[in-house]
Amino acid sequence: MSHTLHRCGVPEELKKDFVVFSMSAKTVNAPGSGEKMKRFFEILSRFPSTNFGDVKTGSRYNADWQTIHDRFRDQSVAHYVFTDRGTVAQALRELKQADLGLSVIVSGLFGEIEAICREVGLPVHTVQYSGGVLGRTERLPPGPVLAITTMCGHGLVSARLVEKLARQVKRGKKEASAAAAELARPCMCGVFNVERAERLLREIAERQEG
Amino acid sequence: MLIDPERCRCCGDCLALCPMNAIRLFAPDRAAGRPAHAAIDRDECVECGVCFRSAVCPQQAIREEDLPWPRILRKAFSDPVFTHPGTDIPGRGTEEMKTNDVTGRFRPGFIGLGLEFGRPGIGTRLRETEAAIRRLLPLGVVLEPNNPLTQLIADPATGALRPEVRDEKVLSAIVEALVPEEAFDRILAEVRAIAAEADTVISVGVIGKVAADGRVPAAEAMRRAGLPPSANGKVNVGLGRPLYPF
Repeated sequence: MSHTLHRCGVPEELKKDFVVFSMSAKTVNAPGSGEKMKRFFEILSRFPSTNFGDVKTGSRYNADWQTIHDRFRDQSVAHYVFTDRGTVAQALRELKQADLGLSVIVSGLFGEIEAICREVGLPVHTVQYSGGVLGRTERLPPGPVLAITTMCGHGLVSARLVEKLARQVKRGKKEASAAAAELARPCMCGVFNVERAERLLREIAERQEG
Repeated sequence: MLIDPERCRCCGDCLALCPMNAIRLFAPDRAAGRPAHAAIDRDECVECGVCFRSAVCPQQAIREEDLPWPRILRKAFSDPVFTHPGTDIPGRGTEEMKTNDVTGRFRPGFIGLGLEFGRPGIGTRLRETEAAIRRLLPLGVVLEPNNPLTQLIADPATGALRPEVRDEKVLSAIVEALVPEEAFDRILAEVRAIAAEADTVISVGVIGKVAADGRVPAAEAMRRAGLPPSANGKVNVGLGRPLYPF
């Protein structure tokens, strides 16, 4: 139902995976929201992040920050990916103060987000859970591969590419960081957590035979 | 999406990029005068655009093409860079809970149910979603009118899709519905039966407004139905200015 839902992984790993993004409502507050979206993007840019983007222009691995920023329009959706809760709390505090009037959504572990909301004084207004995967689950790739591919909720990162790059990492042909950056490119929204992908790639490489 | 066989040098660099594994290598055919080359299986290709955008091909042999109806639906559902004209949103979904603090689409007493066919990474024919819609409608679910899939329904009474779209393959398509809280158990039992017969995977998403006392009735309904809520997911933190209080 959504591009930042259904991110697979173990809780210890997911603790370092937060997506903060904003969206306007087409029938209510979309007119004039492009400038507010730019402001949202500017505020979040002050914090250390592992990725950012907007699907229409791409992520930090497809375009530079200024280009992404300048192309925001009234129905753009801006995303930032953070790796620690302290940063998310600070970012939300600043967004609260800015009072842009646009919806802000945080993806991550519910326990962490609820604690952040309490700390910052924000409500947990509406939630979306994953009920898991039903049906032909035997066709899915192994857990750590799935943990990487599901970081692009539009399904644009292929399992085969993950396995190919993990092999290159194992054979010393590519650094895990470079492989993670390569995996981030198909994900146009910029919600792909590159630091997490790097850790998972190392884990997959270690388990691969030969 | 096409690979120009005249330009392709069969290096194979594009193969792993395809989320649907739809690119294949072909040995040279001397009788036909064709060299070794890569080609896209058009029946399996969902027009997501990953191979083209990657610029991986050193020969620029990968090309986009003008897609006629109904093939254009593959792109509309699978390529998030393409904005669906029915939603004005890139991709196959809607605003759903992301703007609920502003729109009030999900109110107390109701649960949002999203059945995303084909996700993660398997893909689906649209006919799989039709089978589910046909079985869920009699149970009283209300389909989201702005969802791109709902817009393909030819008969709102039965949920039948337009016949020409049924065999189109997409990365994923979402049956988005509003369900009365008290009906969640019954509907989820039917979802499990649908999944048992599906030829793909279905990612289940559940949306709920948080009550004033902090309870999450949607999570309680999930537990009652034997579907444990996930440890991670999405939270709308209520910074949007509401259209009206709810």
